[in-house]
Amino acid sequence: MANISVFLCKCFGEIDNTVDFDFLRKELSKNPSIVLISTVDSLCLETDIEKTVSRIKESNSEKVLIAACSILSRGNLVVESLIKEGIERHKIGLVDIREGCAWIHGDDPAGVTKKAKDLINIGIAALQHKELSDDMSVTVHPNALIIGAGPAGLAAAISLAKTRFKVNILERSKAPGGMLRLISRCYPGNEDASNKLEPYIREVENNPLITFYPQSKIASIEGDTGNFTVHFSSQEKDSSIKSGVIIIATGAKIFFPTGLYGYGEIKNVITQMEFERQILNGSLETKKPVFIQCVGARDKKRPYCSTICCPISLKNASRIAEDVPGASVFILHRGIMTPGNTLEKYYRDTLASGVQFIRFEEEHPPRIIGSDHVESVEVYDAITGITRKIETDLVVLSTPLVPNNDNAQLAKMMDIEVDRYGFFSEIYPMHPLETKTDGIFICGSARWPVSSDNSILQGKAAAMKAVSYLRQSKITASTLSRVPGLKAGHARVVTESCTGCGNCVAACPFNACHLEKMEGRYISVVNMMKCKACGSCVSVCPNGSVQIPEHNYRMVGEMIKMAF
Amino acid sequence: MNQPRILIFACKWCGFIGADAAGKKRTSLPSQFRIIPVECASLVETDAILRALAGGIDGIAVLGCHIGGCRYNNANHTAIKRLELLQDLLDTTGIGRSRLLLSFGTAHEDYQFEEIIKNFFDELILLPPLDPWLSPFGVIS
Ligand code: SF4
Ligand code: SF4
Ligand code: SF4
Repeated sequence: MANISVFLCKCFGEIDNTVDFDFLRKELSKNPSIVLISTVDSLCLETDIEKTVSRIKESNSEKVLIAACSILSRGNLVVESLIKEGIERHKIGLVDIREGCAWIHGDDPAGVTKKAKDLINIGIAALQHKELSDDMSVTVHPNALIIGAGPAGLAAAISLAKTRFKVNILERSKAPGGMLRLISRCYPGNEDASNKLEPYIREVENNPLITFYPQSKIASIEGDTGNFTVHFSSQEKDSSIKSGVIIIATGAKIFFPTGLYGYGEIKNVITQMEFERQILNGSLETKKPVFIQCVGARDKKRPYCSTICCPISLKNASRIAEDVPGASVFILHRGIMTPGNTLEKYYRDTLASGVQFIRFEEEHPPRIIGSDHVESVEVYDAITGITRKIETDLVVLSTPLVPNNDNAQLAKMMDIEVDRYGFFSEIYPMHPLETKTDGIFICGSARWPVSSDNSILQGKAAAMKAVSYLRQSKITASTLSRVPGLKAGHARVVTESCTGCGNCVAACPFNACHLEKMEGRYISVVNMMKCKACGSCVSVCPNGSVQIPEHNYRMVGEMIKMAF
Repeated sequence: MNQPRILIFACKWCGFIGADAAGKKRTSLPSQFRIIPVECASLVETDAILRALAGGIDGIAVLGCHIGGCRYNNANHTAIKRLELLQDLLDTTGIGRSRLLLSFGTAHEDYQFEEIIKNFFDELILLPPLDPWLSPFGVIS
């Protein structure tokens, strides 16, 4: 057992007025491994820290136990000061005998002192049996891989290039631009999509730091934070790239409402995307369009709001109302979703342009009248309770964005998750744009349907998060913590006793364990770059073969023994 | 009458914060409980709980974050399932599930912690004391 010095902090009477320090000293002196018991007025004062440090150094103790206030009060400051003075973190123990004892049991003089004694003994047991986890570090490849060249991916690429990091972009189609290439204007500024896209494309083509791979297909992704290898083909040629971080900006796809409102059967029932195409190729001819919202969205199958289709309808409806003389434009909706100040203004401007809004209910969807050609739309106005018949020459269906089909497959390659609909999941709500695997980020509509403006914003934000990894030459596993400060450790497998049952593999929420063949049998191996020290594996291992050294079972057992 | 003895495994990001806040407010509480802070409720091994009960501790509480609020990617979700199974096991062995209190996301505030602990004491005081049991681990007391 290591020699321990114990420091009891009086906190100027806050503790020692309630807790009997003489009794504590007497009890503690029975423990042969305690070589020094020292009482201090207030450990968090600089002078007392100095005194403490010199006393520790004079004594022949290897470890230090501080009995003072909670780690969430000044306790942390005391620990950090000792670390600054050269005492190693794992050799310091902190026991809270103020908030957790003196302050709450003042009316029980016998109980409070006994509790303080027990807490200190628990602390000593922990200190004696605590072990230190292994650590590792990885050399960072100082370049980024971006999957998808829509507005989010392009914005991320350019931001990263500005910070002088090399960027490789893999794009499924032939040219960059994503969905911006398919539409004519962008809300809420009504800017031409091609104008908006042009500077991005120019930058991607001319910036020597950015390499664009068109028509690419990802075969597999391996490696960890700081050191990913992506195998892919671009224009039929196979290659691989090493990359420090990955940004997923694969976007989403449009939902085709086959079978809804006669889509696919009746000629002039089209989707919002077809409407955009007709504007772009100049074939659009309508004077009396009717827009129908939430087609295939906010229903039982897809109970989410796609957030972009309301503003798109506002954009296209007001365009017709303003540009076509004598036009009569209707939007049939289930509540217009225009949060924020710019979109709300957009809504009001659309109202002012003469577009008429009728609210319908999910149970009474509008009815299309006409067999091969739509003549009118019948809608039950939920506000007035009157059924209205609207003459029309074009019905435009606002459909939501839905996730790409291969999201789950791509997520599996990177050990990240998709949500219940198939969009990529972030660590909600504490780590936006970050995924389960450190160094892999998501942005734009791959994450959730967003406007082009928001895609750009998220792309830039993801790039900045990525930079915090890329600027390190080496990443140390223990710094990849999801909670403030360093990780609590890393799981460690005892190879001799592991039976390869795989329980830990199934339980690990970070996919940090896997089975490996070793000397003819399987054993579990922990990837420290992924392990977050949650302890799930520890709890399910049938034979105690996996432990977190900082919280090992022997230590917990001894702590329990000392509890009362 | 002797107060029952309670051992609490408190997740650092929830129950521990509630306990600390109760301390800061100087809430008066019975002294017979001890807290072992853990990084996540999923770290609480079932055998640690069994050892504690075998050692004569009357009640164990595991306090973790609410479902969906785990710092460790829903590790608490599996912890709940596992510990509920343990509660069943305690029932079948005659120790009784009421000696294992599970609270996820309900002890984050000082008053919540106070209420949970006081109620747990009130519940345990009605049960006979759990004497230390001679186990392969030896008597723990
Ligand atoms: S944005 Fe509008 S149309 Fe789209 S799902 Fe939401 S409410 Fe419906
Ligand atoms: S279960 Fe938790 S502690 Fe175990 S390997 Fe996975 S992340 Fe690490
Ligand atoms: S649960 Fe334990 S025995 Fe099973 S594979 Fe993991 S470390 Fe090995």
